[in-house]
Amino acid sequence: MALHQPQTSFDLLRVPGLGRLLRWRWGRLVMQLVMLALALLVIYDGLTGPQLASQNIAAVSVWVHYRGLVMLALLLAGNLFCMGCPFTLPRTLARRISGRGRRWPQALRNKWLAVGALVGFLWLYEAFDLWASPWLTAWLVIGYFAASFVLEALFAESPFCKYVCPLGTFNFVASTISPLQIAARRADVCRTCVGKECVNGSPQTLGCGTELFVPQIKSNLDCTFCLDCARACPHDNVALAARKPLSEFIPLPVRPFASGAAATRLAASAWPQRWDVAFLALVFAFAGLANAFGMTPPVYTLAATLSRALGTRSEALILALIFGLLMVLLPAALGLGAAWLSRRLGAAQDRRANRGSLRVVFARYAPTVAPLAFAIWFAHYWFHFASGALTIVPVTQNFLIDHGVTLLGSQPNWSLGPIMSEDAVFLLVLAALATGFLSSLYALSRTAAAEGTLKAARRAMLPWLALWMILALAAILIFSLPMEMRGMIG
Amino acid sequence: MPVFMRPISTKPDLLHASRPVFLVLFALLLALLPTGCQRASQQTTADQAPEITAVLTVAPDPALVGPATLLVQLTDANGAPVESATGISLKGDMSHAGMQPVLAEASGGAGGVYQAQWAWTMAGDWFVTVTATLPDGRTLLRRFDLAVSRP
Ligand code: SF4
Ligand code: SF4
Ligand SMILES: [Cu+2]
Repeated sequence: MALHQPQTSFDLLRVPGLGRLLRWRWGRLVMQLVMLALALLVIYDGLTGPQLASQNIAAVSVWVHYRGLVMLALLLAGNLFCMGCPFTLPRTLARRISGRGRRWPQALRNKWLAVGALVGFLWLYEAFDLWASPWLTAWLVIGYFAASFVLEALFAESPFCKYVCPLGTFNFVASTISPLQIAARRADVCRTCVGKECVNGSPQTLGCGTELFVPQIKSNLDCTFCLDCARACPHDNVALAARKPLSEFIPLPVRPFASGAAATRLAASAWPQRWDVAFLALVFAFAGLANAFGMTPPVYTLAATLSRALGTRSEALILALIFGLLMVLLPAALGLGAAWLSRRLGAAQDRRANRGSLRVVFARYAPTVAPLAFAIWFAHYWFHFASGALTIVPVTQNFLIDHGVTLLGSQPNWSLGPIMSEDAVFLLVLAALATGFLSSLYALSRTAAAEGTLKAARRAMLPWLALWMILALAAILIFSLPMEMRGMIG
Repeated sequence: MPVFMRPISTKPDLLHASRPVFLVLFALLLALLPTGCQRASQQTTADQAPEITAVLTVAPDPALVGPATLLVQLTDANGAPVESATGISLKGDMSHAGMQPVLAEASGGAGGVYQAQWAWTMAGDWFVTVTATLPDGRTLLRRFDLAVSRP
């Protein structure tokens, strides 16, 4: 097994003050308690406050601020939401109640369920207009606490984050473009380490809940940034290190213990070569498009057409069809098609070319869509954040006034809203998409460079290049359409 | 060349000390669950004049993105126009959280009809909230929902 040791120029855990706080035994708990307080506020106002989404803390903070700030954190640092995730708090309690449960079934130890949960979550969001309902938003948060609690009570390890949670799944894939990553400070220390406490834990500390092993981490996938590993390592050998942009998508250097085809095969990407994980990256991209598409005029036309053709007015059913097509069938068909073509084209050119199975080609190339996919989500969520971040001010004023507190004024200032002009938002959207697209191209070309020859590389990357281009153009088209915010049918 | 062998996992009993904290917080969460009722508001969402009829008319009708005129017509329980209401304010919210509302003051009052210049900023589902102070000092509050289309 290869040891991975990135050049650790910057380590967040060594920043004076902050690093200590992060590594402190109760460091995560402090963040989680803050987030828990916010979650309780969301539940309280969502259930009892004004049921107009734009006047309720639950709807505004979850659908505008959470989504905008989470993308910003992922872009600038990493998976900070999971780091402070409040949903794992009652889980810790559940673990104490349940003691040792069963192991998570082998058949579910993959991302298929997580892909389903992510698509299901986005479907729920649109089919029940969660963005328009503070009450449902509150229940969503309650449901989250409950699901995490129940799964923890039933199973011995922590399967929720790794195999189920849609937010975690989203953040895992998105954080693959983040600048920070967990890494061992010195590989030789890990080599001689007996206890491997970072993954196994010790009587005093937890090991990695998602079962990652620090000296082998090459990707942010599945890392919740919980820093349990840093707290557990008896040799203080864990870093939250800065890494080169896109480093996760660039195949690692070939290790010289094999030659020929075997050596080339070792130039693997940081992602596991698995159907489920690679498919997740594609779904993440297509879902980003479909989610933004869900707010534009053509989707209403499409929904109306389907409604007439099928003779149903069930929004849930029609949306299930549209999302099933756009988020599951389309990425499956186009992804497999691209992999098949890529394999054919590369091999036809050069017999020596390193063509793996369809799965290997699929798993090697599909993840390079992640930067573009991130850009699509970023553009969408920042559209909402930039046009409505300040609405939280009057909403909070309103909340306080409702409770007889006039600390922030006796009249809500409803004229507050955007933090950027409409033109600036559109420019930001375009810049994000362009950056994402170019980043994906770069990742793609570096991945293709691991093919046997230059010619094979060019041909093998062609289908993917076309697919990423179509995605980018579709994104630009969707974001140029006027936004519309209403229920699907009628 | 396997470099690492994992010893048998010994998942520890963590966060022993903070158990009471969790229990309290979880109890708090559970206590919040049945609160399905609407919170009694101190100020912002109380209608004190249920017998007054308010009718909202928009022009153009059906509403289109762009400039518009909104008319609010107030009549009392006997069907007589309410002519001297003051501070008639209109607030348009989209169904989606985080969209800046449209605000306007209505003026006039002849025949109980008050008029405001308006602009629908986006297609979609809108809520227009009308508040006014009636001649007897009570506050009137009504909410209307309507769909706005692209021109
Ligand atoms: S516990 Fe520390 S030294 Fe041991 S393997 Fe993990 S990170 Fe390396
Ligand atoms: S590697 Fe595991 S323990 Fe360490 S921060 Fe990531 S999820 Fe937490
Ligand atoms: Cu949107």
